[in-house]
Amino acid sequence: MEISIEVKNLNKHYGNRVAVNNLNLTVKKGEVFGLLGPNGAGKSTTIDCILGLKSFDNGSVQVLGMDPTKERKRLFERVGVQLQSSSYQGNIRVGEICEEIAALYHSPANYDDLLAQFKLDQFHKQPVAKLSGGERQKLSVLLALIPQPEVLFLDELTTGLDTEARRAVWDVLTDLKEKGLTLFLTSHYMDEVEVLCDRICIINQGHALVTDTVPELIKRSPYKRLEDAYLWVMKEEIAV
Amino acid sequence: MKKFLTLLKIEGKLSLRCIDSIFFGVCMPVGIMILIGLIAGQNPTTSDAGTTLIQSSFGALATVGICATAFMGIPLTIADYRDKKILKQFFVTPVSPTMLLWVHAVINMLLSVVSALLIYAVAKTFFGYEMMGSKLAFMGSYLLVMVSMYSLGLLIASLCQTVKTANVVCSIVYFPMLFLSGATIPFEIFPKPLQAVAGFLPLTQGIKLLKSTSLGLETSLLIPLIVLFGSLVIGIILSMRFFRWE
Repeated sequence: MEISIEVKNLNKHYGNRVAVNNLNLTVKKGEVFGLLGPNGAGKSTTIDCILGLKSFDNGSVQVLGMDPTKERKRLFERVGVQLQSSSYQGNIRVGEICEEIAALYHSPANYDDLLAQFKLDQFHKQPVAKLSGGERQKLSVLLALIPQPEVLFLDELTTGLDTEARRAVWDVLTDLKEKGLTLFLTSHYMDEVEVLCDRICIINQGHALVTDTVPELIKRSPYKRLEDAYLWVMKEEIAV
Repeated sequence: MKKFLTLLKIEGKLSLRCIDSIFFGVCMPVGIMILIGLIAGQNPTTSDAGTTLIQSSFGALATVGICATAFMGIPLTIADYRDKKILKQFFVTPVSPTMLLWVHAVINMLLSVVSALLIYAVAKTFFGYEMMGSKLAFMGSYLLVMVSMYSLGLLIASLCQTVKTANVVCSIVYFPMLFLSGATIPFEIFPKPLQAVAGFLPLTQGIKLLKSTSLGLETSLLIPLIVLFGSLVIGIILSMRFFRWE
């Protein structure tokens, strides 16, 4: 099985505070992997380290077999990223931000098709600032899909979306998964994680408590739903 | 190159949509030119006879556009883009965020050059202005003043961590530069002590250089050149040292 993302013994601290503590992750090609944990657990820091946005103390990171800091340009032709709470240039329009992002890649997706898929096509000429929170969130996922990525990182992908929009995003992602997309996501919504993720890793204070498939984790807990199992792991703080 | 041009087109459109960059960079300097033309017309300057007030102010007015782009446009855009994590977002694309900075440098250069050309056109058509010195020397000096002021603008962007502080610092730098360097109010009419203080502003030295090239004067330009090259080098070195992408 081909490996898409590999993190080995990742350590990162800010001053005295340990942000990531000896983290090991392996995500296979075509897998949907969820990184879960409370706010401040180190999820975004982990993503930043994997993407080469932050330096780390020690450990190693490889995405598609490449070191993100050394082969940035080659790597990000094939990787799409939605950063948490992304915002845009003041008074830029939806069509313009799409055109700008598409211009950065060799073979970008047709963004008009994506806009239609996400039901955002009627906003083509509208300023991004005038979109509702949910529409803007959908746009940020859409922009991450413009590179036609093999690996997609989504940090809190559906925060602020209404039920219908959430479902629309899930459908697009499930479709892409069937086409072999590898997906690395963080989310606070366990229903979403149950629908999308093959495997999850729960972290707290920078270290991994559990890494397992969703059904296996539920089976190991005394509960029937992922949300309860998640809370159980967090409460027990057991390194299962 | 295509990437650069697409970015230039879109980011350029965004800049034009901002009324303040056009107002401070283009409308205001042209307005001041017209004002001085109407007030002073062909009158000779107070101090050195032989040149008209328009002739002696042209070099100074040409820098108003530079001032607006260097101390408002560039640092505020960078601080805003950093705050909104737009620069960070460019790190996770095949293009480096440096390209975005270059795009904005070019946009601002175009803006200030357009402003200078408009001032020249207005002065020539309506007030019979002719440049006495060499046009080539003037263009060279203009370019030097521009890059030197831009490096100081970049330094402001590097030192200010938030948009709020950038806003405050830009106002603190922009307005004294505009009024005390001679860009808008002729330096010669300042009282001597104020002239001495204003002499320390890098833009004052830049205007001395532009004035003397536009009038074709044979004065020593050693100090202005040292100050401008000095600001350029110091600005770039310190910006590189302190610049943060997020």
